Amino acid sequence: MDPRIIYEIKNLTHSYGKGPQTINIDYLRICEGSVTGIVGPNGSGKSTLLRVLAFLEPYTGGSLFFGGLDPSGKEVDIRKNVTYLLQNSYLLKRSVFENIAYGLRLRNETADLEERVHDSLERVGLSPSKFAQRPWYRLSGGEVQRVALAARLALHPKVLILDEPTANVDESSALLVKEAAVSAWKEWGTTVIVATHDLPWLTEVSTDIISLFRGKMVGHGTENLIHGPWIEENGSVVRTLTDGQKIHALIKEEAELHAAVVNPSDIELITDSEATSSGTNRLRGTVTSMALERATGSALISVQTGDIILKSRMPVEKIKEVRISPASEVTLSFSPEDVRWI
Amino acid sequence: MDFIIQGFFQSISLIVSMDEETLNIVLTTLRLTGLSILFILGLGLPLGFALGYFNFPGKHLLRTIADTLLSLPTVVVGLLVYAFISRRGPLGDFQLLFTIRGMAIGQIILGLPIVISYTATAIEGLDNRLKLTLQTLGASGAKLAVTSLWEGRFQILVAALTSYGRIIGEVGSAMMLGGNIKWHTRTITTAITLETGKGDFALGIALGIILLSISFALNISLSFLRRRVGNS
Repeated sequence: MDPRIIYEIKNLTHSYGKGPQTINIDYLRICEGSVTGIVGPNGSGKSTLLRVLAFLEPYTGGSLFFGGLDPSGKEVDIRKNVTYLLQNSYLLKRSVFENIAYGLRLRNETADLEERVHDSLERVGLSPSKFAQRPWYRLSGGEVQRVALAARLALHPKVLILDEPTANVDESSALLVKEAAVSAWKEWGTTVIVATHDLPWLTEVSTDIISLFRGKMVGHGTENLIHGPWIEENGSVVRTLTDGQKIHALIKEEAELHAAVVNPSDIELITDSEATSSGTNRLRGTVTSMALERATGSALISVQTGDIILKSRMPVEKIKEVRISPASEVTLSFSPEDVRWI
Repeated sequence: MDFIIQGFFQSISLIVSMDEETLNIVLTTLRLTGLSILFILGLGLPLGFALGYFNFPGKHLLRTIADTLLSLPTVVVGLLVYAFISRRGPLGDFQLLFTIRGMAIGQIILGLPIVISYTATAIEGLDNRLKLTLQTLGASGAKLAVTSLWEGRFQILVAALTSYGRIIGEVGSAMMLGGNIKWHTRTITTAITLETGKGDFALGIALGIILLSISFALNISLSFLRRRVGNS
């Protein structure tokens, strides 16, 4: 096995008790020192997957290797290197300093305790002189999340797992949380795994993005997920958008026609005059945002079309050539064959 | 009415001068309740933690039993323990009847369910993110348990104070198991009972004021702790 692979998952399944499967992933590997984003709608299994990766939740089937080794029975030791930040963090009923020092004291890393606690506080934009001695109940929601992240950063973890870390905090706290997570990755080579709905940020910093839907991995990168209703019409399946435009897809036997994905690389941005072969999906829309994708060196362009947003991946040079910018009216084109059922 | 007023003024002078008998009664009470609460906490905290923290078959039954024992009548406890520690009882050889240790057994039975039940409630009421947080910071086993107990410390202190309030104020089992022997097993509550019966209101009222002061101090501490809990 490649020594740089930190996680390797094969046929991993998970369910709570006798309930339905919450995760069913055929294969996934995460490299050491990478920033991996996990995206997907609510209830797609992101949090469960993160907890499994943080060794906080046992999986029910398949295999998971950590650093090339089977972690069974060693979860407690591994958790000393893998830390997890909850979406809505909890602080111990003690001062900010003691909250951050807790993990270090557990590891007997107390030689430079004060220095590490203060450094962690500064990383999340909190002044040690002002915040270190504050009790847990005198912090705002954003400050709680930042202190919780500081407590994890103080450990200089090998893996930092973040579960929608900015979902419940104000904008400035969100920015500081994101910067602090990136600083850990840059300075210590920490492997960062983050579930978030903040796609522009993820696109910018991540080396890989995993799309989850109903517990299954539907692809790498920011896949376009198109929910139904998909209706059969003259031998094909059609999703009618609120503005009347239609997306055509091919019927596949045994496939449930609930939701489909389209890879952004399969969606082209074309000029109005450009001709397309008959049967190709051609949709008019407005560019809402553009983000540079660090992993591919391309740009990801989000286009609002009807009630959905579709993302198209295109080389930066091409963007310069066609001169599009947010609010530009564009036409998207992709083949019905590129619509995959999940 | 005069005898009450007279008794009240005499009681003040008894408290101020703190005569030997009054002092002995107060010290006997503190010694007894101190011994009892030590055992109650030593046994009750781990048992309450286990009951609140772990899931095991029969947990609900145990919980119901602990909750039922909260309102155990003191004289029933006195009767049962008396039967066990009297000369003819199975523990008769230990000669515990009419001793502080014998009285402590009764008080432990009375106070233990309070600490067990309240600690279990405190642990069950802990935020469900606490365990995840501690695990992800690297805690496990005993450290996880101790930190969880510490997180519930305000509620657990409330349990300890409530339990202490119950044992210091009870008279039934203390009277039956201690025998109210002067200079030996006479406590504040048994002394009040006796002195009232004899018509010596001064000592009764003096001891009543001391007992009320202790209760008042306990309640002040309780309300302070409740405010702290409210901040959590």
